[in-house]
Amino acid sequence: MSALGILVAGALLVASLAVPKFGLLAKWKRHRAYRAKSRSEDALKHILAWQHRSKLASLESLAGTMGLRPAAVLRVVASLQTAGWVESSAGGIALTASGERRALQVVRAHRLWERHLSDDANMPMAKLHQAAERAEHSLSREQVAELDAHLGHPQHDPHGDPIPRPDGTISALHAVSLNEWPVGRPALIAHLEDEPEAVFRQILLANLRPMRVVKVAESGPNHLVIEVDGGQHRIERSTAANIHVREIRPQDALPSARTRLSDLAQGACGEVAGLSPDCQGLSRRRLLDLGLTPGTRVEVALDNTFGDPRAFRVRGTTVALRRQQADQVLMRPFPPFSGKEAAP
Amino acid sequence: MNSEACDSCPAHVQMAKMGVDIANCDHVVALAGNPNTGKSSVFNALTGLRQHVGNWTGKTVTRAEGAFGYGGKHYKLVDLPGTYSLLSASQDEEISRNFLLFGQPDCTVVVVDATALERNLNLVLQVLEITDRAVVCVNLMDEAKRKGIKVDVRSLSRDLGVPAVSTVARTKEGLSDLVASVAGVASGVTKTSPSRVAPPAEVQEAIDGLVPLIQGMAPGLPSARWVALRLLDGDHKVREALLSGELAELADRQRQAAPLDASRIKAIAGAQ
Amino acid sequence: MTPVSVTPQAVLDRSDELRRGLDGSFRDSMVTSLYQRAGELAGRSVREQGAGKWDFDQRIDRILTSRWLGLPVMLLLLGAVFWVTILGANVPSQMLANAFFAVEAAAAAWFESMGAPWWLTGLVWHGTFRGLAWVVSVMLPPMAIFFPVFTILEDLGYLPRVAFNLDWLFRKAGAHGKQALTMAMGFGCNAAGVTSTRIIDSPRERLLAILTNNFVPCNGRFPTLIMLAVIFVAAAFPPAVAAFAAAAAVMAVVLLGVCFTLGVSWALSRSVLSGEASAFTLEMPPYRRPSILRILYTSLIDRTIFVLGRAMLTAAPAGALIWILANVQAGGTTLAERSIALLEPLGTAIGLDGVILLAYVIAIPANEIVVPTMLMCYLGGAMMMDITTYEQIREVLVGQHGWTLLTAVNLMLFSLLHNPCATTILTIWKETRSARWTALGALMPLGLAFLVCFATAQAVRLLPL
Repeated sequence: MSALGILVAGALLVASLAVPKFGLLAKWKRHRAYRAKSRSEDALKHILAWQHRSKLASLESLAGTMGLRPAAVLRVVASLQTAGWVESSAGGIALTASGERRALQVVRAHRLWERHLSDDANMPMAKLHQAAERAEHSLSREQVAELDAHLGHPQHDPHGDPIPRPDGTISALHAVSLNEWPVGRPALIAHLEDEPEAVFRQILLANLRPMRVVKVAESGPNHLVIEVDGGQHRIERSTAANIHVREIRPQDALPSARTRLSDLAQGACGEVAGLSPDCQGLSRRRLLDLGLTPGTRVEVALDNTFGDPRAFRVRGTTVALRRQQADQVLMRPFPPFSGKEAAP
Repeated sequence: MNSEACDSCPAHVQMAKMGVDIANCDHVVALAGNPNTGKSSVFNALTGLRQHVGNWTGKTVTRAEGAFGYGGKHYKLVDLPGTYSLLSASQDEEISRNFLLFGQPDCTVVVVDATALERNLNLVLQVLEITDRAVVCVNLMDEAKRKGIKVDVRSLSRDLGVPAVSTVARTKEGLSDLVASVAGVASGVTKTSPSRVAPPAEVQEAIDGLVPLIQGMAPGLPSARWVALRLLDGDHKVREALLSGELAELADRQRQAAPLDASRIKAIAGAQ
Repeated sequence: MTPVSVTPQAVLDRSDELRRGLDGSFRDSMVTSLYQRAGELAGRSVREQGAGKWDFDQRIDRILTSRWLGLPVMLLLLGAVFWVTILGANVPSQMLANAFFAVEAAAAAWFESMGAPWWLTGLVWHGTFRGLAWVVSVMLPPMAIFFPVFTILEDLGYLPRVAFNLDWLFRKAGAHGKQALTMAMGFGCNAAGVTSTRIIDSPRERLLAILTNNFVPCNGRFPTLIMLAVIFVAAAFPPAVAAFAAAAAVMAVVLLGVCFTLGVSWALSRSVLSGEASAFTLEMPPYRRPSILRILYTSLIDRTIFVLGRAMLTAAPAGALIWILANVQAGGTTLAERSIALLEPLGTAIGLDGVILLAYVIAIPANEIVVPTMLMCYLGGAMMMDITTYEQIREVLVGQHGWTLLTAVNLMLFSLLHNPCATTILTIWKETRSARWTALGALMPLGLAFLVCFATAQAVRLLPL
C-alpha cells in the first residue's frame, strides 16, 4: 500500500517536472536559453560600443560591464566565437562583419523599444533605458520591423541616438559636447547620455531634452550657465560632457514660438504654431486629430477648481487637456499684431 | 442566417463573419460620425430601435445593428463607434476603419454636427478616402439655427462630391431625404465623385510610387490610394492585412463578386 | 508591371523605403492638409450670425466648472438626486409591501383551504413569493426615480463636466479622468460600469477603472443604503429634515466610495499597476435638451426593468432557499440557525452578525437581495403583514436583534466595499480575459471590506464612546 503511494507520488513529481512546455524542467530550460541569449547579446553590444570608441574590448572589460565571473565571460565569448560573431586576438575581442550586424540589430531593438515606451506609453525618460534593456532580448525581427513601421520609421531614440537601419547601417551622430560649444550661439540638443543615471537626472532637471534649443550664457571653469526653454540653469561641466549638441538646420523645422498653450490666461486667444518636438507617437496624433494643427485659433474656455485640466475652444468644439498636454502645444499670440511679441 | 437566397452571396458571408447578420437584406449601410453628433438618434430614427444616447463621448461602446426598408428594398444599418478620426490607433477607430475597408458597405452615412462642421469634416474627408459610396448627413440643424449658424448643404454636397442632406434626427426632419439619398448611392443610381485631399507634393510622389505596386499585387483593390497612405504611415493592421493576403482577397472579391471560400472568410474574420 | 510578380513583402519593402525618404513631419502634414481642406469647405458652406447660443452655453459651463462653484454645485446636484429618490420612494415602497403581503396572506390561506401540504404553501408563498415581494417593494421605487433623474443629467451633458472637475484628483491617483464617467455608469450597475471602461484607451488606466468600479454603490446596493439611512440616521432628526439627513448620509457613503476609488487607484498605480498617466483629452459636448419621452423609456424599460428582472431571477430561488434553510431541521436545529451560528463569530468581529453575513453569501448572484434575505432570516416565520413600515423594521432590528449604530454604520461600509456581484465579476473576466485580474477585482474589495469593518468595530469597542 505504502509502496504504491510512493510510486504514485513519485510519478506525479516526475510529471510536474517533465511535462513539456509547463513543467519545471521546461521552465528551467527556457530560462537558461534566455539567459544565454541575453548574455551574448549584451556582450556584443559592449564590444560594439568599445569599437565605436576605437577600442577593443577585453575579457576584463566584459566582466566589469556585465558583472560576471571570468569563467562565465569566457563561456559567453566562446559561444560568440562558435557563432562566428567575434574574433579574439592578442589586442582584444573584435566583431566580425556578421557580428556587427547582429549587435546593431540588438541596438536597433533597444532604441526602437525606448521610442515606443516614450511615445506610446508616456514613460518618463529616466526609466526608458532599464525597460529596454530587458525587452531588447525578447523581440523578434518581425516584431522589430513592425514596431519600426508603427512608429513611423523614427531616426533617433528619445535620447537622440541614431537608430540603426534594418540593413545594419547606422548614421553617425554629428554632435559635440556642450562644453565645446561657443558661448552665446544657439544649438540644438542632439543627444543626451542616459548613463550614469544620477547625471542623467541632473540633465532632465535642467529641462534639457533632445531637439530643444539651448544656449550657453556663461562659461566658468567648472560650470556652465545655460538657457533652455526660457529658463536659466547652472550645470557642472562634468554634466555638460554628457550633453551633445549640433548646429540648427533649416530642415529641423522647429516651431519658432515659445509660448505654450498652457501659458495662456483664462479667456485668452492664440494661434497654434506647432507641436513640441518632444511630443511624439500617440499623444501627438491625438492632439493633431483634435485639430491642433499649425494656424488653428484656440481660446481658453474653462478652468476648474484645481486649475488642471483646462478646456479649450478649438474649431467649434470644447476640448479639455491636462497641463502636460497643453504644454506640448506651442503658440503664437493672436491676432498676430495686437498682442505682445513672442519672447525673443 | 435563415435565408437560402442570400447565404451564398459574398456580401452575406463577409458581413456574417464580421458579426453582422444580413439575412433578408439587399444592402448594407454603415453609420459613421463623430461622437455627440446625434449619430445614435439617426440610427434610432431610421430603424425604430431605441438605443440609448447619453451626451458624452464614447457612449456607444458596442456596435449596434438595425434594419429599415425603402422602395421595396431591405437595408441593414450598422452603427459604428463614434470617432473623430480614422488615423489614430484607438480600438474604436480600428473597428470603424476595418468595417469600412473590409466590409465594403454599399453606402456609408457620415453624420456630422452642423454646429461644428469644420471639425466634423475631418472625418468625412477621411471616410471619403476609403470609400466612394457615402452620404453626408448634416444633423442637429435645429441647434445650428439656434446658434445662428447656417449650413449650405448644396454647396457642401457639390464640394464633397457626394450627397449631403440636412436633418434633425430627433424630430425626424429630413430623414426621408436621407433614406432616398442612401438608396440612390447604395444601388449605384447616384454617381459619386468624392473630393480627395491633395497631400503635400513629396507625399503624393511616394503614393504614386506605391500605388502601382499595390495594384500589381491586388488588381482592382478599391481604395489602393488609401492603402498606400496607410502603409506609408506604418499602420499595423493594414500591414498585417497585406502580408496575410487579406487585401489581395478583398480585391479578388471585388473583381469577381463570387462566393467566398473558407480561406477568405477566415481572412475577413481576422479583420474584426 | 505584371500582377503575379509583386509579392506583399515587396510592397511592404518599397513602402518602408519610400517612407524613409519622407521627413519626420509626414503625419503632421497629412493631418494638417486634411484640416486645411475641412476649413476651406466649412468656410464655403457655413455662415455664422453672431454667437448668442454658444455664449449662453459657455456662461453655464463657467459656473458648472468654476473654481469656487464647480465642486459645490456638483455635490448639490448629487445630493438633490438622492434626496428626490429617498423622499419619493418611501411611500410607494410601503404601499407595494402592503399589497404584496396581503396577496401572500390571502394566497397562503387559499392554499391551505385547498388542502395543500404545509411545505408547499411555505415554499411557494412564504419562500419564493416573499423573496420576490421584498425585492420589488424595496427596489422598484428608488430605481424608478433614480434612473430617470440620473438619465436627465446624463443627456444634458453634465457628466463630462464632472469628469473635467475631478480629473486632477484622478491624475494624482495615477488614473484617467474618464474614470469618473465609468463610475457614473456604475451607479446604475457595476457590470455596465465595467463595460463602459472601454472609453479609456490606456490599458493600465482601464484596469484601474475596472478594479475600482465596485466602490460606487450600484442600484442593487442603494436600497440597503437608503433603508439604513432612513432607519438609523433620519430617525434621529425631526421629520421636516429627515429626508435631508438621509440623503446626506447616503451622499457621505458615496463620497467615501469616491475616496476609496481614488485611494485604491493610487495604491494600485504604485504597486501592481505602476506606470505614468497617459495623455488626457476629453471632449466637452454642448448641452442638449433631453427628450423626456426617451428618458422615461430608456430609464424605465432599458434600465429599471432590466435590473429588476435580473434581481427577481435571483430573488425567487433565494427566497425558496431561505425558506428551506429556515424550515429543514438537522439534529434539532434548523439549517439557518446552524449556518448563522457558524458565521456569528466572524460577523461579530467585524461589527455585523451571522444573519447579515449569511445574507451576503446568499446574495452573491445579485446584491439587490441582501436586504430582503436579511429581513426574511430575522423575521423567520413571522407574518410580514405586520412589518412593512421602516419604524417597524427598526423595532425588529434594534429591539429583537440587538442592532446598534455600529451595526448600521458597518453594514453601510460593508455594503459599499464588499465584493462585486456575480454578474460584475463575470463582466470583469470578459473585459480583461484574465483570471488574475478578475480574482483581484473580486477579492480585493472583499478583503478591504472586512478590514475596514473590523477596524471600525474594534475602534468603537475600545474607545469609551
